[in-house]
Amino acid sequence: MTNVIQVAILGLLLGGVYALMAAGLTLAFGVMRIVNLAHAAFIIASAYISFFAFERLNIDPLLSVVFVMPIMFLFGVAVYQVLFRRIEGSKKFGEMTVLLTFGIAIMVEGLLGFAFTGIYRKAAPGYANESFIVDGLFLPQGDILFIPKGQFYASLMSIVLLVGLWAFLRYSTTGYAIRATTQNRAAAQIVGVNVRRVSAISFGLSTALAGASGALMSYLFPFFPFRHWQWVAVLLALVVLGGMGSMKGAVIGALVLGVASSFVVDQIGPTWGPMTFYLALFLILLIRPQGLFGKEAPA
Amino acid sequence: MIEDRAAVGPDGSAPEPEIEDIQRPPGPARYRWYVLAAVVIALLALPLFRPVISSYNYVLTLGALILMWVAMSSSWNILGGFAGYISLGHSVFMGVGGYVAGVLLYYYGVSPFLTAPLGGLAAVALGFLAGFITLRTRGPAFIISTIALLFMLMTDNFEYLGGAAGLPLPPLEVSQEWLRVPFYYAMLLIAMGAVWTAYRVAHSKFGMGLRAIAEDEVKAEVAGVPTRLYKISAFAMSAFWVGVAGAIYGYSIAFIRPTVFFTIAISAQMVLMAIIGGKGTVAGPVVGAVLIYAINELSLVVFGATELNIVIQGTMLVAVLLFFPLGVVGTLRKMNRLPAFLNWD
Amino acid sequence: MPILEITDVSAGYGAGPDILRGLSLEVEEATSYCIIGPNGAGKSTLFKVIAGLLNPRSGDVVFRGESLAHRRPDQVLASGVCFVPQDQALFPEMSVRENLIMGAYLVKDRAVIKERLARVYEMFPILSERAGQDAGKMSGGQQQMLAMGRALMIDPILLMLDEPTLGLAPQIAQSIFSQVEQLKSMGLTVVIVEQNAQRGLELADWGVVLDLGIVRFEGPSDGILEDPRVRELYLGKAAGSGGKK
Repeated sequence: MTNVIQVAILGLLLGGVYALMAAGLTLAFGVMRIVNLAHAAFIIASAYISFFAFERLNIDPLLSVVFVMPIMFLFGVAVYQVLFRRIEGSKKFGEMTVLLTFGIAIMVEGLLGFAFTGIYRKAAPGYANESFIVDGLFLPQGDILFIPKGQFYASLMSIVLLVGLWAFLRYSTTGYAIRATTQNRAAAQIVGVNVRRVSAISFGLSTALAGASGALMSYLFPFFPFRHWQWVAVLLALVVLGGMGSMKGAVIGALVLGVASSFVVDQIGPTWGPMTFYLALFLILLIRPQGLFGKEAPA
Repeated sequence: MIEDRAAVGPDGSAPEPEIEDIQRPPGPARYRWYVLAAVVIALLALPLFRPVISSYNYVLTLGALILMWVAMSSSWNILGGFAGYISLGHSVFMGVGGYVAGVLLYYYGVSPFLTAPLGGLAAVALGFLAGFITLRTRGPAFIISTIALLFMLMTDNFEYLGGAAGLPLPPLEVSQEWLRVPFYYAMLLIAMGAVWTAYRVAHSKFGMGLRAIAEDEVKAEVAGVPTRLYKISAFAMSAFWVGVAGAIYGYSIAFIRPTVFFTIAISAQMVLMAIIGGKGTVAGPVVGAVLIYAINELSLVVFGATELNIVIQGTMLVAVLLFFPLGVVGTLRKMNRLPAFLNWD
Repeated sequence: MPILEITDVSAGYGAGPDILRGLSLEVEEATSYCIIGPNGAGKSTLFKVIAGLLNPRSGDVVFRGESLAHRRPDQVLASGVCFVPQDQALFPEMSVRENLIMGAYLVKDRAVIKERLARVYEMFPILSERAGQDAGKMSGGQQQMLAMGRALMIDPILLMLDEPTLGLAPQIAQSIFSQVEQLKSMGLTVVIVEQNAQRGLELADWGVVLDLGIVRFEGPSDGILEDPRVRELYLGKAAGSGGKK
């Protein structure tokens, strides 16, 4: 019984981090219909920033979120203005964003590899290897639960950021504009929203979230440039599963699959973890192609 | 009395209906077939020029590789270019073909030169199955599901297949100097087969249906095109030559291993070549394969084997998408400057 | 003095042919217009050009002395021109109240927004009743009223309504028309495109007939449908009795 709770907790913590990663991806799709295959590459690039900040300047990865996010925000806005503005009205926009971001992902991977080589990196702040120990309470005699501090803090950060994002979208003027643009781009224009500006800001927000995810990743998982493909596959599967464009779906999907894959890893083996996501994706595609919370209309 | 403004144009003259002059592309010149025949004959004869070519094996290996990519990107184009469904997981088919032939060789001693078509058929079977599930989605969701497919099959868990280390394959029983020749000819055949298949599809009713789907799927459906059947068929068809190529390739490098086939880099190359050459055209992937490979080799010479090659590829893809979305062949055709021997549509 | 002057405007979509081919029209202040014409004549396209959703390929659109021709939609709105498209363009997952407030997106003063909201609720009591409901869940007629109410939140000078009664039952359509009457009496310049030519022309002061991208006929609304050439063009030789096509 304790083992079940242990595995479930690990799964939830993992899911929390996935949720943050998927949220950025979902935002880009919801507002601008951009499928950003480079999202994981951005996450890894940010991880490098946090990693070196830790190695060279002794800045705690969790703290580095404070400056990594604004840097990535500006980067995102720049990328949007330079690259996406050009293809804004085109007919095959969805397909083009996939290919374009595919190219960007390759470019980023190459540059990172060239600059930093393919060595596995992982920051090692103190809490990365420590755990909270929980005993007593409702647990059977002698059993204890380990809650890894690193994942715990990461999930906490993730919750804070996601709640902040939710509040921003719900209550601020720009948040209203973003939500309006997501729900009906033409209507937003008619009502006076500068959808170009909103799109650029949203993309910046999306990459800022990638930045925060990267800061967390820098100490949670070993990373190297090529790894972004594995991450992007999982994240994309998550986003499709939750329903493309649904923030709610992405977060719920992340938590559920985090727990599910945790059990799979525990019962079957570590290499089968990511498989859980892919299998879940194919299952959903068979039963409900628009995802859990997606809309019926084709993308 | 209300005036009828159509009877009198703004400057007082009777308005004339405008008829747009449709520009007809120049008809295919007969000489293009001669050029193509000459190219094919040259390719067939290449291995015979042994005394004249230094680093013979290198040239043949290079040739075989370029031909392989011609075959793979042309096949990909059937789904990605004609039907407009971008598959980023196409390297699974190469892997399936490679493993089927490789396993048959390793455990049963059957030569991949014989079993390659089986590899192709296995890929087709996977194509049908995968297409059946993934083609329930459209656009970006479809692309994502092809990536997931690739990662799903990227498993190194099966001992029978050699696990992560893969299976070493017995090399071909031929002396070193002639070793690359059979692979060269095999790939030449495969390339010709793939391009011919693409050509036939493009000039068939099936191909027209695919193009309609790419243009506007809803309208195609309403017009009576059996979209689901066509899409799944295109998926399956686009898998065949990729599987066959995979079988031969595995044999040519004398081992099969997951990381050789099941990487997104291979899918990326296929896509890159087709797009830069001109997806949706028959000649495009051919041009793209040659071009990309030439650029690859060049940058290897200039920069060495660093990650900069990848950066260059990524930059090329982005640049082409933004500025020349129709690719080399497509853009030339739009400008009416396409040399007739490249106009195979 | 015309409040809106459209001069020789040509426009089309993407790389396609011209839908509007040198269209010219003058709109007078505080007057109501009904634009009719066969399908494809360019009625919706005209609205989109004026609203800034589509750039004209040639010609000019001048509103109160300012050229709107290549302005962005939010700039056009700020000048006082409000467009309600055929599909109302509501925000389906936002409540009625939120939709109305979004209508005043460009208005900075909260007090003004509150005041206008109260006014809209007065004019359309049903919106007040359903203030918290998701816009996507309302009936067609209610959505149309919400769209019009939202348009009023910006206190427009010129209001363009594209097929406001499309798909609505006759009674609901009637109530929409009476709302438009009210808007007229408030001093707005109203231009509507209406499939139901007779009803639309009943409502408006001036009728404009579009055909093949130009203004073919225009005149006082009570006379225009009587003209046999207009009848033939718009209603077709088969349908003699007017009404929907």
